[in-house]
Amino acid sequence: MHEYSLAFSIFESLRARLAQPEMLPSRVTRHASRIKKIHLRQGELLVLSHEALKEAWRIITEGTELEGSELEIERVPVRVRCPGCGYEGDAKYLAEEGWHMRVPILSCPRCGARVEIVEGKDLAVVALTVEEEVGAS
Amino acid sequence: MAPLICGRGHVCWIRKNYDLHHPPLRVAGTGKGIYPHGEMHEIRVGFGDILKKQLELAGENYELLSSRGVRAFNVMGAIGSGKTTVILKLAEELRRRGIRVGAVAGDVAGDDDFRRFREAGIPAVNINTGDDCHLDAHRVHHALEDLPLEDIDVLFIENVGNLVCPADFPLGTEMDIVVISVTEGDDMVRKHPKIFAQTDMVVINKVDLAEVVGVDPQRILADYRKVNPHGRAILTAAKSGHGIEELLSALGF
Repeated sequence: MHEYSLAFSIFESLRARLAQPEMLPSRVTRHASRIKKIHLRQGELLVLSHEALKEAWRIITEGTELEGSELEIERVPVRVRCPGCGYEGDAKYLAEEGWHMRVPILSCPRCGARVEIVEGKDLAVVALTVEEEVGAS
Repeated sequence: MAPLICGRGHVCWIRKNYDLHHPPLRVAGTGKGIYPHGEMHEIRVGFGDILKKQLELAGENYELLSSRGVRAFNVMGAIGSGKTTVILKLAEELRRRGIRVGAVAGDVAGDDDFRRFREAGIPAVNINTGDDCHLDAHRVHHALEDLPLEDIDVLFIENVGNLVCPADFPLGTEMDIVVISVTEGDDMVRKHPKIFAQTDMVVINKVDLAEVVGVDPQRILADYRKVNPHGRAILTAAKSGHGIEELLSALGF
């Protein structure tokens, strides 16, 4: 299970930025202890258990300024580029009965050649939901 | 991760437009609050470096291996599918041809595979992940420091037996190979489609036992072709050496 180490990477990454306020919009740093949600985007090629990641986050943030914050994870479809015909866009997915998962196929939807992955292996923090103090501008 | 194939047809670890995933930090408006009491603001930030470190380390391994003229292969697969035996048979034949082989044995605990490599006279390093379910580029980097790379032409990195996690951790190898065997059943691809969709080659081992265990390798092949139309599939019975020649030629030897 590597969800714990991923959760720890997210935690360290966020803490490093909170320690260097110039790396974050001031609206975030002014209300750091009021970060309520961390919005993540996860590429669909990444094998990741959302439940395990959220539980790891809860454990890691206990007793820190991020305690009580939650992860909000959005799955992002795989995007590919074809070196052959120049197609760039969504990957084609295997959609058949019996495959209980959307399986991205790394083949060009236009010409069938092998494609490069543009997006789909990533885990990125894209937004934070902060609760602003009453009366703050 | 499957390595990318760059425009010249080479394996390429440099994700050219990685910057797309690292937009400059900016405040892109203040979204509506998600919480009912209304004081919430959603603020756009962008840091996609959660996995970037892994990619960078894998890239460094790839550079190091290339600069020493070492061709490296990441051998993943289920527990007991025959990864070690396949590697030993490949090594035997490669060495007969005068090609020098090295190995990295990755396991949660123990040194059984490592000892099998050493007994076969293969320079090897053992990595115990201590409960981690996969090798990562950082651990492999340290293994490379302990290997006599100048005496190695081909390096087999045997990953931890697991069909889930290793897919997410690029090591910096030239090719990713998954070894499964018919004794695990004919539904391995259907149960773990993501790893098969991304790897360059699948080895279906122990085909000599297919009839005994009532598994049709063609069904596994058909599933694999569906999730990975560009991957190669090789049938082997590694213990007896069946299919090893074909596998070597598929690996470019």
